[in-house]
Amino acid sequence: MDIITAADPDLRDLSLETAGQGATLNEWLEQCRQLDAFRRDCPNLYERVRALFFLYAIHRFHLPRQTDLPAIGRVPFEGYVHLLDRRFEEAVDLFLQAQAEQGPNDTLASALAEAYRHLGFQTLVNQVRRSVKSVRGNQWMFRTGHPADQPLRIRPQLTTRPAPQTPFPILREVTPVRMDLSHSAWSDIFFLGMDYPEGARVLNVSIDLGVRGRDAAPRPPIEVYLRVIDEPVLRLVSVDLGAHADITSLAEVFDFARDYLGLLKAAVIAAGIVPPGLEGSGQELADLLARLVGPGLGLELASCVNGIPKGSRLAVSTNLLAALIAACMRATGQARSLTGALDETERRLVAARAILGEWLAGSGGGWQDSGGLWPATKLICGVTAAAGDPEFGISRGRLLPQHHLLDAREISAATCARLQQSLVLVHGGMAQNVGPILEMVTEKYLLRSEAEWRGRQEARRVFDRILDALQQGDIRAIGQSTTYNFTGPLQTIIPWASTFYTEILIERVREKFGEHFWGFWMLGGMSGGGMGFIFDPARQRDGQDFLGAAMCAAKRELQHALPFAMEPVVYDFAINAQGTSARLLTGDEALMPPGYYARMVPRWLRTDPQALPATTRAELSRLGAACHIRPELHGMVETLFERLLPRSGPEAQTDQTLAALLAQGGFDAALHEQIRTDVRNGRLGLAQNRLPASTTLEDVRPADVLDASGGLDPACRQAGLAALADGAVAVVSLAAGVGSRWTQGAGVVKALHPFCKLGGRHRSFIEVHLAKSRRLGRELGKPLPHLITTSYLTHAPIREYLAFCRNYGYEGPLLLSPGRAIGLRLIPMERDLRFAWEDRPQQRLDEQAQKVRDSLHAALIHWARQAGEGNDYTDNVPFQCLHPVGHWFEVPNLLRNGVLAALLAERPQLQHLFLHNIDTAGADVDPALLGLHIRSSACLTFEVMARRIEDRGGGLARIGGRVRLVEGLAMPREEAEFALSFYNSQSTWIHIDRLLAIFGLTRADLLATREPTGSGSPAGAQGAADGATEKIAAALRVVAARLPTYITLKDVKKRWGHGQEDVYPVAQFEKLWSDMTALPEADCRFVVVPRLRGQQLKDQAQLDGWLRDGSAAYVEALCAWD
Amino acid sequence: MKISKAVITAAGREQRTLPLHALVDRDGIQKTALQIIIEEALAAGVEDIAVIHAPGDQTAYRQAAGSHAGRLHFIEQAAPRGYGHALLCARDYVGPQPFLHFVSDHLYVNAGPRRCAQQLVAAAQVVHCAVSAVQATRESMLPFYGTVGGRRVPQSPDLYQIELVREKPTPTQAEQELMVPGLRAGHYLCFFGMHVLTPTVMDLLDEFLQQAGDAPLALSPALAALAERERYLALEIAGRRYNIGVKYGLLQAQLALSLEGNDRAEVLAELVEVLAARQP
Repeated sequence: MDIITAADPDLRDLSLETAGQGATLNEWLEQCRQLDAFRRDCPNLYERVRALFFLYAIHRFHLPRQTDLPAIGRVPFEGYVHLLDRRFEEAVDLFLQAQAEQGPNDTLASALAEAYRHLGFQTLVNQVRRSVKSVRGNQWMFRTGHPADQPLRIRPQLTTRPAPQTPFPILREVTPVRMDLSHSAWSDIFFLGMDYPEGARVLNVSIDLGVRGRDAAPRPPIEVYLRVIDEPVLRLVSVDLGAHADITSLAEVFDFARDYLGLLKAAVIAAGIVPPGLEGSGQELADLLARLVGPGLGLELASCVNGIPKGSRLAVSTNLLAALIAACMRATGQARSLTGALDETERRLVAARAILGEWLAGSGGGWQDSGGLWPATKLICGVTAAAGDPEFGISRGRLLPQHHLLDAREISAATCARLQQSLVLVHGGMAQNVGPILEMVTEKYLLRSEAEWRGRQEARRVFDRILDALQQGDIRAIGQSTTYNFTGPLQTIIPWASTFYTEILIERVREKFGEHFWGFWMLGGMSGGGMGFIFDPARQRDGQDFLGAAMCAAKRELQHALPFAMEPVVYDFAINAQGTSARLLTGDEALMPPGYYARMVPRWLRTDPQALPATTRAELSRLGAACHIRPELHGMVETLFERLLPRSGPEAQTDQTLAALLAQGGFDAALHEQIRTDVRNGRLGLAQNRLPASTTLEDVRPADVLDASGGLDPACRQAGLAALADGAVAVVSLAAGVGSRWTQGAGVVKALHPFCKLGGRHRSFIEVHLAKSRRLGRELGKPLPHLITTSYLTHAPIREYLAFCRNYGYEGPLLLSPGRAIGLRLIPMERDLRFAWEDRPQQRLDEQAQKVRDSLHAALIHWARQAGEGNDYTDNVPFQCLHPVGHWFEVPNLLRNGVLAALLAERPQLQHLFLHNIDTAGADVDPALLGLHIRSSACLTFEVMARRIEDRGGGLARIGGRVRLVEGLAMPREEAEFALSFYNSQSTWIHIDRLLAIFGLTRADLLATREPTGSGSPAGAQGAADGATEKIAAALRVVAARLPTYITLKDVKKRWGHGQEDVYPVAQFEKLWSDMTALPEADCRFVVVPRLRGQQLKDQAQLDGWLRDGSAAYVEALCAWD
Repeated sequence: MKISKAVITAAGREQRTLPLHALVDRDGIQKTALQIIIEEALAAGVEDIAVIHAPGDQTAYRQAAGSHAGRLHFIEQAAPRGYGHALLCARDYVGPQPFLHFVSDHLYVNAGPRRCAQQLVAAAQVVHCAVSAVQATRESMLPFYGTVGGRRVPQSPDLYQIELVREKPTPTQAEQELMVPGLRAGHYLCFFGMHVLTPTVMDLLDEFLQQAGDAPLALSPALAALAERERYLALEIAGRRYNIGVKYGLLQAQLALSLEGNDRAEVLAELVEVLAARQP
């Protein structure tokens, strides 16, 4: 606690690790008690937050390392529900009460860690929100609850026109985007800026952009158009997202996720046109518009981003939001300048409103992101709060930073020119969610984790060097500093800032350009999307050419391993010296952008001309005339023609490809039809996945499991080593899945994902598993056979990648076991969507984000109804319409596809398989566990581990006297899972002959499927092989029919436009391996293993904790890399 | 400080007929709006009144002034060059003395025994400086008024030191610049349409006129400059103003006058009858 309250920076910045070095379990627990008491009474928000993060870190990292902390405990279900409902205080209280009753244990420590962490972030978010609302100039909007209270009026210049048929003037706002020349070490996160203003500094440059090879010259990428219209509606048009709406109700304005117009809606609200106080008022939008614009009139707001892809790390969306707000504020007199640039006060006001808008729309950005409002290069710094500031006494810094424009005396024009001649800006094609990274940065800052804190201080020194180099005009030195920043401080703070793809690109550029490559520079939250490469100006053009080709080549190599959203692009850019600016377009000049007409004119032409307003008819006429003379409208007529009569080619082609893929993948049309019928008539569904409510489900007894977490009898190890020496074991890695959670449905092959730097470079899951087998094989002097099961979705990418990297140099037999089944996804049933979102406990989000999510759910339910519940899901690339049918099939596939038969033919001594999920990074062929399995004579030995709160998805239970694994989907009641002590790691030791016996098969049956090689009648032998194949298929069908079929919802991304992605929930069916434990003839055993071994990696947000809690080091110790 | 002259600006080209509207005053006597304003000025001790008007309006205003016509000086604003310019037209008339200024589209109802203008003049005579009458006004009405920012004068509950004047500010601007401690949330000190001004205002208007070229000359920038140049206070009047230039403004003004006057019972009875006769 002294660390938290200390005024002396040396003590205040001490890390928790250092302070707690050598502490015993009881000492840690005593510290927790004091910290919890302190944070409850502490009036200072930031001390409270820091105490909460200390409590989180102690429970997440320090207590679990104490060997005398018992592993097993129970999380009270009620507390878990509190967590989901964001009642974190109540959750903490319940967990502490449970700890008092049960005694401290690892399970409850995980629950407390989760609750404290959430409470910490909730406190922070609430504070930032309060600051946003309390900024002077924003408060009135929250008081305005009735149209009659609306104090704004549209400027008369926008409502004045010479005659009713002439157009209203159009206000056009043009805005650059921003790049962060220094990479600020994420110091622009609001919280950091407010708690550590002296460390919050960025060099922010406003730039115009063009896509190389597409655009003639760089220009401000953001355009916003605002005009008065003759209808009492709010017309919002997003030209770049191809969406528009005529909004007639206030409720729809606040419905952010209903369509792609959320950003425009947020702007209209944040600008005070529809003040946030009107939400839920039950008033009429038309009344508000009448007061604001005039009776019978409305407003039209259109946005246009000139083809700049999402994920550019150039803050396109924040600057678009700011541009929209600027236009709205100019139009309503909130900015003195209707046209031209904004003055400093106005820019700050717009920036504050953009923060409000981002909060309303549930998105987020840093405080530097609306930098495009300002001209050229500026130094943006956090500011210490002083008396009179609303933040004073609450946070150390102000919400809004200070912008200092660097003039020609500070950065010469020659330097700006040299920078433009050296820097190559690109979008690498990856568009990833940086939200988790920003949370990690905040957490590490609060904990002052030693290495990370040193990294942050080093990044500050790098910043000074970059600023100095910029003032000296030394671009080469800038390149050196940004590279050092990326490889040093930034990755020390967040290792995940780099990706395998980025490092390949840097390596190849360096190899090609040598000393002419001056440096790499990361943009935004993480690399892979927007990036900068600094070259000797003499080689910049070569650099652009090379990068264009190198990015495409690297993307082709890694397209199945990493989530690419689009083809990489190289930009042309220029520093924008004006910032945002506006013009009033009048008379014949009053036209919207070409993309607007491409979207709207076909609708107008389909409407009865008499029904069109006179102004629209006049606009059509003006457009017709302008098409002849205005170069930017060249080609408009052809475009309109194509929009009116669209070609049907691509869709037909897609259908054909999908049909072909289904045929090749072993799609069982009859089974699919049966499942679809069952889904539609309610025999299958999320609710039907569950065991009957009357099922008695109990936790296992101590005798039901073998505890190997503290080590095993040496005889087990001896037995295991003997079997290994005999060549009786092979490894099976399950790699048929595409990691829906891992990349939120991006459809990459998880097995190939280079997820973490281990042994000095990024490694994929497959490489990690092979490295473990390599180490063991070398120890034994005998390589271990390694099988990788695949599905149609993953087989070709894995095969090709292994060929490309030469099996990662693996010496032993490495076989792929191709899938023999494929499913076609279905449009979900509304019933299942509602079950998932309404009946099952769901993690509630922060207030505004939850509103956005509720609105999204309503939209998706509407989509399911429109698209036809239970219909085949085909509206995506074929790869995303297919699904693997669950990991149960991966073992029968081994029997059907001849891979096991081949291995048995080659190695008759093979007796056991060690099967594990691809994401169980710590699983290896441990001789002691193998020996335990052999000595038990079991058919299947499953590895389980003590449960933590995040382990959702079933567990080990007693049902009717039988010990078995129960999937989370099958839990008869939500809370039943919380009574179970052990979670399934999915790793299984398999006795091959006993497994075959369950199917009614023998090795001989498998071997009989092989091509005859000896003498005798070839036809007869082939017939016998076919007969054996049929026998195996029939045997598998019999067992399959005895296992439950689950319906699950998976998120699937649909990509479109320039890196845009939508996520749809689709239905698919699965059969799961753990249900083998329900078969009475399967002799199953369960062994408790340490978490380091059994932990599965399901979500990339887990990785940082996994790295910090020693799991990564544990895995590294098991591996031999080459 | 002696205040013997008043200036009524009535030259707004779109509001020429407002002073001519007939209302029934508190005594139950029908009068024009102009008459009511003149009586407000006279009650404050003013002896001489000038009306600034647009070309061609003098006859109508003279008639509308009724028995007070003889006291009036009519000054024509030849071209519509803004409110500030209209007031500046009276520069020679007011000379080196402070004067009382009214707009012609507001009527006033005092809450206490003293009329609104009386309160204002009395305050100015005590503090010896320019004083503008203000009323705490809800932010939704900001588009109609000039607004002041400042702080309370110690020991004087109704007086404020004016630091800033903004004409029809946006709520955002008001919140950032014009919040006055002690007012209810969302309320600002907006002009009452009645000021005691010093001749410095005329000097300032003249300076602004030189810079304005052909653009209309507003009064608020000159008042903002006045606050920088000399002591300038605001008085929160015990009473209410009614803007007869807005929708239903005349009706509201009439109701307010009637309900404060001799015919109160009669008017209330009429209102009740109207309400009772409404169709459900």
